[in-house]
Amino acid sequence: MALCAKKRPPEEERRARANDREYNEKFQYASNCIKTSKYNILTFLPVNLFEQFQEVANTYFLFLLILQLIPQISSLSWFTTIVPLVLVLTITAVKDATDDYFRHKSDNQVNNRHSQVLINGVLQQEQWMNVCVGDIIKLENNQFVAADLLLLSSSEPHGLCYIETAELDGETNMKVRQAIPITSELGDISKLAKFDGEVICEPPNNKLDKFSGTLYWKENKFPLSNQNMLLRGCVLRNTEWCFGLVIFAGPDTKLMQNSGRTKFKRTSIDRLMNTLVLWIFGFLVCMGVILAIGNAIWEHEVGTRFQVYLPWDEAVDSAFFSGFLSFWSYIIILNTVVPISLYVSVEVIRLGHSYFINWDKKMFCMKKRTPAEARTTTLNEELGQVEYIFSDKTGTLTQNIMVFNKCSINGHSYGDVFDVLGHKAELGERPAPVDFSFNPLADKKFLFWDPSLLEAVKMGDPHTHEFFRLLSLCHTVMSEEKSEGELYYKAQSPDEGALVTAARNFGFVFRSRTPKTITVHELGTAITYQLLAILDFNNIRKRMSVIVRNPEGKIRLYCKGADTILLDRLHPSTQELLSSTTDHLNEYAGDGLRTLVLAYKDLDEEYYEEWARRRLQASLAQDSREDRLACIYEEVESDMMLLGATAIEDKLQQGVPETIALLTLANIKIWVLTGDKQAVNIGYSCKMLTDDMTEVFIVTGHTVLEVREELRKAREKMMDSSHTVGNGFTYQGKLSSSKLTSVLEAVAGEYALVINGHSLAHALEADMELEFLETACACKAVICCRVTPLQKAQVVELVKKYKKAVTLAIGDGANDVSMIKTAHIGVGISGQEGIQAVLASDYSFSQFKFLQRLLLVHGRWSYLRMCKFLCYFFYKNFAFTMVHFWFGFFCGFSAQTVYDQYFITLYNIVYTSLPVLAMGVFDQDVPEQRSMEYPKLYEPGQLNLLFNKREFFICIAQGIYTSVLMFFIPYGVFAEATRDDGTQLADYQSFAVTVATSLVIVVSVQIGLDTGYWTAINHFFIWGSLAVYFAILFAMHSNGLFDMFPNQFRFVGNAQNTLAQPTVWLTIVLTTAVCIMPVVAFRFLRLSLKPDLSDTVRYTQLVRKKQKAQHRCMRRVGRTGSRRSGYAFSHQEGFGELIMSGKNMRLSSLALSSFSTRSSSSWIESLRRKKSDSANSPSGGAEKPFKG
Amino acid sequence: MEVMPQYDLSRLPENTALKQQKLPAHRLDLSASVVLSIFFATGGFCLCMGVILILSAKSTKELEINYTNICANCAQLREDSSNFDKECTCSVPFYLPENMEGNVYMYYKLYGFHQNLYRYILSRSNRQLLGKDIWDVKDCSPFQVSRNSTPIIPCGAIANSIFNDTITLSYNLNSSIHIEVPMLKSGLAWWTDKYVKFQNPRASDLASAFAGSAKPLHWTKPVYELDTDDPGNNGFVNEDLIVWMRTAAFPTFKKLYRRLKRVDYFAVGLPAGNYSFNISYNFPVTVFRGEKSVVLSTLTWIGGGGLFLGLTYTVTGALTLLASFAILAIHLMLKRTKKNFL
Repeated sequence: MALCAKKRPPEEERRARANDREYNEKFQYASNCIKTSKYNILTFLPVNLFEQFQEVANTYFLFLLILQLIPQISSLSWFTTIVPLVLVLTITAVKDATDDYFRHKSDNQVNNRHSQVLINGVLQQEQWMNVCVGDIIKLENNQFVAADLLLLSSSEPHGLCYIETAELDGETNMKVRQAIPITSELGDISKLAKFDGEVICEPPNNKLDKFSGTLYWKENKFPLSNQNMLLRGCVLRNTEWCFGLVIFAGPDTKLMQNSGRTKFKRTSIDRLMNTLVLWIFGFLVCMGVILAIGNAIWEHEVGTRFQVYLPWDEAVDSAFFSGFLSFWSYIIILNTVVPISLYVSVEVIRLGHSYFINWDKKMFCMKKRTPAEARTTTLNEELGQVEYIFSDKTGTLTQNIMVFNKCSINGHSYGDVFDVLGHKAELGERPAPVDFSFNPLADKKFLFWDPSLLEAVKMGDPHTHEFFRLLSLCHTVMSEEKSEGELYYKAQSPDEGALVTAARNFGFVFRSRTPKTITVHELGTAITYQLLAILDFNNIRKRMSVIVRNPEGKIRLYCKGADTILLDRLHPSTQELLSSTTDHLNEYAGDGLRTLVLAYKDLDEEYYEEWARRRLQASLAQDSREDRLACIYEEVESDMMLLGATAIEDKLQQGVPETIALLTLANIKIWVLTGDKQAVNIGYSCKMLTDDMTEVFIVTGHTVLEVREELRKAREKMMDSSHTVGNGFTYQGKLSSSKLTSVLEAVAGEYALVINGHSLAHALEADMELEFLETACACKAVICCRVTPLQKAQVVELVKKYKKAVTLAIGDGANDVSMIKTAHIGVGISGQEGIQAVLASDYSFSQFKFLQRLLLVHGRWSYLRMCKFLCYFFYKNFAFTMVHFWFGFFCGFSAQTVYDQYFITLYNIVYTSLPVLAMGVFDQDVPEQRSMEYPKLYEPGQLNLLFNKREFFICIAQGIYTSVLMFFIPYGVFAEATRDDGTQLADYQSFAVTVATSLVIVVSVQIGLDTGYWTAINHFFIWGSLAVYFAILFAMHSNGLFDMFPNQFRFVGNAQNTLAQPTVWLTIVLTTAVCIMPVVAFRFLRLSLKPDLSDTVRYTQLVRKKQKAQHRCMRRVGRTGSRRSGYAFSHQEGFGELIMSGKNMRLSSLALSSFSTRSSSSWIESLRRKKSDSANSPSGGAEKPFKG
Repeated sequence: MEVMPQYDLSRLPENTALKQQKLPAHRLDLSASVVLSIFFATGGFCLCMGVILILSAKSTKELEINYTNICANCAQLREDSSNFDKECTCSVPFYLPENMEGNVYMYYKLYGFHQNLYRYILSRSNRQLLGKDIWDVKDCSPFQVSRNSTPIIPCGAIANSIFNDTITLSYNLNSSIHIEVPMLKSGLAWWTDKYVKFQNPRASDLASAFAGSAKPLHWTKPVYELDTDDPGNNGFVNEDLIVWMRTAAFPTFKKLYRRLKRVDYFAVGLPAGNYSFNISYNFPVTVFRGEKSVVLSTLTWIGGGGLFLGLTYTVTGALTLLASFAILAIHLMLKRTKKNFL
């Protein structure tokens, strides 16, 4: 491991020569071994201790320890501090060591993955960590790329290869990479082994989409760009194999350069705790000063005279100096107001809560067999305070699986049996899926539940046939037939794949294509259509068409596209069909399905010839070629005949709508930030957006002014309506915290904001971000589309900065890493292929729906427990410590403690630690089911009601009140009383034992009151602590110990003599009663006069039933909806041309086609140009550089 | 769930009550009946206790005579430490108006003497007093060794400042017959102190065992001459020393000095009449503006003592009962409104 971390001067440029390890070794580039661990065995102790002493608290206690070693001011033995300090340091060190051990393990796992490396002309299996810069490695389909590679050659023609970059940027559509022509011929090992080109390129950086370098080979220079690079973290797809030259390895790869060290996150309770500790320091100093002044005065007035009996210490020459020393002495004895065990107890409690998360069976995903995991153990209580959730879409809310769900053919809707939400539980109630066995080419994985559609096909309904014919012809999918009948489709968007697969199963099997033909098996008979033209998709047209000539010679245009566009271009004769189809579309849209409208048009031969001629002309035009072509396309795509519509379900993860509804009820705002181009459908299907919403604002402006204007309008509208409607709907949540608001109330009158990536870029600029935030926060739901990873982080940062609210980011891909790291809490979806998000996250689980449990159950409990814990902890320490302060007035401010020093040592770590820990770990106010039923129970956390400065002062006041009684009642009794045998009662040791005993009893009773949920463990700890107290007390005061160490155990015989006195017990009982009764009375009165929701929930069954009824209606909200076309939103322009040119056809299939090299090179040129155009145009804002 | 039996479920969390946070538990609910019964019970208990304690405190008899100013001349003499070897006696006559029946205890009470100062409390050597290692004086600063560097026995500030007045009580039957009231010097200290914490070195002769040591600065006689009559009360196990060494918690304190030996005239206690304390005044208190007095007292079942405990109990009981009624009233009121509400 140590080898990985060599320090080098910053690189100016990188040189790597292929197949020449000796040459490359000169530069000492980082090897491909990654290291995320912090320590090794040797460095652990010093580094860890150094880190621990950077904690203010630990340093403070070290400082105290040093103070205690000075004899003049030492008022307590050194062990009172060192025992707890060592304990705390040990526990923390053990925890750090365990964490680091797991980091070592995961590093090793990654480093030991295998890849094939070309060494000395032979392919050898090597571990990833042994791959060096300059090596040539072979990748196979579906393999992870091991390092940043220069693509040399691939199994595909022209050195093309497809990669999925989800790990890197979260985009799920495939990308094409191409080797430079000169190397793409290096297809076999012998040629590669001789390859000795040298790459000179930029030094390692974190820019994912930029690369510049030059390949020097055979005295020629070849420019290299990002188009030639395969980055670590990508997955090779649809490419059998490829070879690549390692340019950057290990820590130098762009992936690793992007994953900076995780920032250490602190919770708001942590910050509050630190502030409070500082205040307590201040308080401590004040007390110290008061007592020091007291001491100086006392020494001056009394002490000087008392010197007969107790002369001053040699070092002390004046009352003033004595006061000065007494200040430090009091700092030492009063230091327990800042308890050292506070921090370690907090850690222990959080660890316990983390284990509960790990252990939770209800957060275990059966399908992926992954349990939930709390990867950070320091954030748990913040889970109970979340106000904003930022969610990724693909892979988080959706499964990224498109399912052909419903269709409307000639006014008849099919597929209605299917349940929209796809509840697995309801599987059994459904009829069996349609049997496609008649079709040998059917895809077994395709399921459809409405048999009537297949019947329609079998009956030979011409509309249905035409419908599926269209689906099998009008697309840009590539087919691959590994063996007879075993068809694989390579679709560039899952939507298209789903449609073509549907057609395939219903008997219209797209079999193969050449640049000029498409072969379709229609119900068993192979028919080859002549492909005349592909009118490709683009974002403005939102449709694509093909013009084909069938074997009979008829020319027909098939078109599929967004309903908004297509429905306007239909022939007037389809009016009737149009209305019924529109109804269906509305219905589909209401279910959140992605819809497409299908239409055809017959063209006659002459018209087509003339049109094709004009098209050719336009495509050859020099200026405004795009516009001309668009015009031509537009012309032919008119007066079409409506065929029907398809509805594709972007399959949601299980339980997403319910989870979102519940979280919304809990007053958590959910923002969807997605790299996808369109997420509105998802907004609807997961019930974030509903048609009951007053308005959904869509911001798509391209310029600063447009965006500003759109935001302003949105705000104005919201203001207007809140004036007219009144404030019945807005802000109702926060005001009526105790009132249970129903689902419909919560959503009604709400607004939503949908903003596009390029608009967001403007909105996030410094002068507009506040406006944007204001608008967005007024909306119930916010959806940001086409967002870059950086923008995701910026949005989160924005909310964090201005809203002072706890944010949670949830995502699954590497593109979410920045957001996950930025948010207060990052949640990763595990069980996916990529683990970048999980690695960066604080919590991980495999289903979005577990979020509700994480927040509403675990988070809420954690917060509640932590708050109760802190309140009690400060209380008990103040009650404990302040007694010394009062005693100071009676002992000449001489820093005499009230208690035995062993009691002081053990009070925090033994006598009172476990009961409060048990409460902090196990306490529950309401059962977990109630947390889900009453999401409003989550609100106290968001408003930070349970532990804040006010609560803190109440605890402190209670502690001080207790300390006053704890001191003055025994004082009053002891001042006059004698024991029942006539001897004096008021000796110091008896007083110490009496006060200590009543303190332990009072704080135990108090923890008993605070513990709301008495498990056996709580019983054991509370009774055990009391028992241990008495056991230790008697042991410490026993004759045996005294005989051995007479000077250390001075209290011999004290326990048995003091605790045998009825007066002492009467004092203890009285003190306990006086300390506790007001608390009980206060609690009871608050419970009956001002109960909070959790109290009400516990008592009121009636309300619970009502709420349940509301729950039931929740599932049946809104069936109809505004239409939203989801046409191929992950679609890319350019694939049509790709197909027509035959460029991406396998050589085997190309052999059949009339394929010309010249046109192919022009294709690549134009594709490149288009890419660079789109990158430069303002609309390409989303594809702007991702700066990590 | 039965659909997927073959799956590897090794990572499935165990379904135990602990891990699923479903431990059987009792929920603590402050229901009205519980709270009210606690309150009434506590109130009743405290009130009863208070009354009992007040009554028993009233039944004790106590008499305190402050002799700081009565023996002013002695006090003045003691202010100058050079007069330490001069004897000064002082007689304090008083009249006991009624009989003190039962065991009567005689205390000395000091005002303003801080036995609870941090350095004072520590200034002793338990090892020495245990008789184990009588030369161990290291904890006794600032009274470890005498001026000529011989270790002090018993060392330390506490031992050094021992209360060294001798007080005897005489019963004046009439102006001529003065009967010295018989007093016990034993049973003044805890058993553990006398037999565990303080032990003489094992030697046949105490004087030789302590040879080579110095007596504390303020002492007139060495430790082995504290009670020459009773070897069981001499040396470290002298009960006056033990009582003094058990330091008081507060600057005003009384320590048991003698117990009445109930014989003859005094079989039932001290009869009413004229008495006088004969005090050999050695302990200076005026130097630190302190005062001293002598106290005669009887005990009850709970020991001696003032009214504080009884009064506090009574007040607490009364307040708790008041609170109980208030809570009851509030509860009943709320119950009615809730009923209307539901």
